[in-house]
Amino acid sequence: MNKIIISGFIVLLLVPASFAQEFTGEDIIQKVNDLFNVESGYAKAKMTIMTTSGQKRTFIYESWSKNKGEKNLVRYLEPRRVKGQATLMLNNADDIWMFFPRTQRVRKLASHAKKQKMQGSDFSYEDMGSGDAFINDFSPKRLKDEKMEGYDCYQLELTRKPESDVSYSRLVMWVIKENFVPVVIDYYDEDDPTLHEKRLLESDIRVIDDIPTAMKVVMYNKNDNTQTELELLEVKYNVTLADSMFTERGLKK
Amino acid sequence: MKKWLSLLVFFLLSLSSLIAQDKVELFGYFESQAMGTGVKNEFLLLYSNKLRVDLKSSLSEKVTFAANFDYITFHGKTEWNILDFLPPDAIAEVPAGTEPFYVFSYSDRHFLDNAYIKLSFKHFDLTVGKQQISLGTGYVWNPTDVFNIKELFDPTYEQPGHNALRLDIPLGSMYTLTTLFSPEDTWKDSAKLIQIKGRISRFDYSLIGIEKVWLFHDYTRFDDENMNFLELPGKRQLLGASTAGELLGLGVWAEYAYNWMEYSEDFREYAVGDFSELVVGTDYTFNFQTYMMIEYYRNTLGKTDYEQYNLNDWMRMITLEQKALSRDQVYAFIQHPATDLMSVGISTIYSVSDKSLTLVPTLNYSFSDNVEIFAYLYFNIGKEGKVFAKTMGNGGMIRARVYF
Repeated sequence: MNKIIISGFIVLLLVPASFAQEFTGEDIIQKVNDLFNVESGYAKAKMTIMTTSGQKRTFIYESWSKNKGEKNLVRYLEPRRVKGQATLMLNNADDIWMFFPRTQRVRKLASHAKKQKMQGSDFSYEDMGSGDAFINDFSPKRLKDEKMEGYDCYQLELTRKPESDVSYSRLVMWVIKENFVPVVIDYYDEDDPTLHEKRLLESDIRVIDDIPTAMKVVMYNKNDNTQTELELLEVKYNVTLADSMFTERGLKK
Repeated sequence: MKKWLSLLVFFLLSLSSLIAQDKVELFGYFESQAMGTGVKNEFLLLYSNKLRVDLKSSLSEKVTFAANFDYITFHGKTEWNILDFLPPDAIAEVPAGTEPFYVFSYSDRHFLDNAYIKLSFKHFDLTVGKQQISLGTGYVWNPTDVFNIKELFDPTYEQPGHNALRLDIPLGSMYTLTTLFSPEDTWKDSAKLIQIKGRISRFDYSLIGIEKVWLFHDYTRFDDENMNFLELPGKRQLLGASTAGELLGLGVWAEYAYNWMEYSEDFREYAVGDFSELVVGTDYTFNFQTYMMIEYYRNTLGKTDYEQYNLNDWMRMITLEQKALSRDQVYAFIQHPATDLMSVGISTIYSVSDKSLTLVPTLNYSFSDNVEIFAYLYFNIGKEGKVFAKTMGNGGMIRARVYF
């Protein structure tokens, strides 16, 4: 048994120097995808929108996910204006329902609704990461490795697949070699792949339940000169969640 | 009296104790609203203030109590003569001496809008008390919703609560069976509903059956005994279906209902016949954040030619007894975020049957985290006698709402 562990340790020590160079774009994006899509999870997050006029809008919400991001439920806690509003996303956000507590109405949304801004923020529902979007909607190409935000990073270019209707023509991503967290993602205009639209910056990376997690994420909107900060207040991975949570009944709770 | 006062004091003390223990959530909103309409060379103004206080308590995982109390005050032009807005042909049908009964008064009111207990068991939810009942997939019109009629210019405004006993039984993760009973004086007159909702592929479906008394008035006949227009209670039996999903990248929805009407011998002469309603809609969000929606609505109770509109048609539409005056109409809406805090839009409702339309520019502004401002203008473009006739006046509304 000890032999196996020691051998394993030696192999791990050798990995960064030799094998890392062998990773293809596909390998790296798969690892990023795996990191994002944990088996199940709970998070409480604070979203702060900084508008062009310097005003702030703050939202606090809870989210639950199951089956590696295949099922998602988001429920707003603050401010009072949106308290109780909830969004259920199934089949990797291909099916979306929204619940409005003031009217007790559940509305089924088509997938185009993913393009809408989340509560007027710089994140669209699409940006919030829906299942396997990085893999299904883009073709990866590995570019020259670079140092970014102080980390040694793989640099990837993700080009939209012809059959995809995702809102960005391409993404450029800097992935930390050590833990596969994408520390920076640049989003390019839907029609003009040279037009830099938004930049996502991840920071305060902590290991929670053995999973590297960026506790702070900021999306900068280059066009509108606005930014939205997302701060994780609480995170739990591999929690037990009943399937009944991810139904219309659970949405209306 | 002393007994009631003691009870009230006990209730308030219990409530404050529960709030102190964080067992009851107390929230709501205050809204102030101004409406203006230009009619007959005058610009009439109606102001209202509404305080809504909500209580919600999750006594345990299985028991939730919720209630809300509304207090509304009206100011300005609080008495509106409906005859000022009607075409001469309709006014000619008004029974002599009944003109004062066409004046609609807005008086201050306070009421318990919703108050219900929800019991959540493993296999079903039971909701008892005054509660909102939202049915159908349509945005502006809901053929399967016999409990509510939405405001054309403000279709997402909350609907009033209805006294009911509702049972929701999930059947697996894909289907839900709902039964609802809304009591009236007798079992026969009480509303009954059964609905099955489910999901097939990318579409949600529902089948629904409802029986409910539907109260029409005959505005050409006056009931001297009750000092009101003649009531025409009829039993409405509805069979309907609705769906919502995605087709070729577009959001799509449809809702249909067929209504069988049954009247007692006394009212059969003035009765409304069987009718059907249909809604078909689609929406899309462009990558540049513009949202667009179109919804078509057909109501066979509506008339195909505006020269057929009579006093009853007008009055039933104005008093929200009937959803539409003309047979076919289209609602279109386009909205774009003008800034990160403001959305501007324009909607139009076009009566296909009488070729009149109204244009409604809208504005939503997030003033702060818990303060929002909503405003619209409306411009009627149609000749006299049509649904959206110029003579109905142009105007607008502005509303500021503060949540607490």
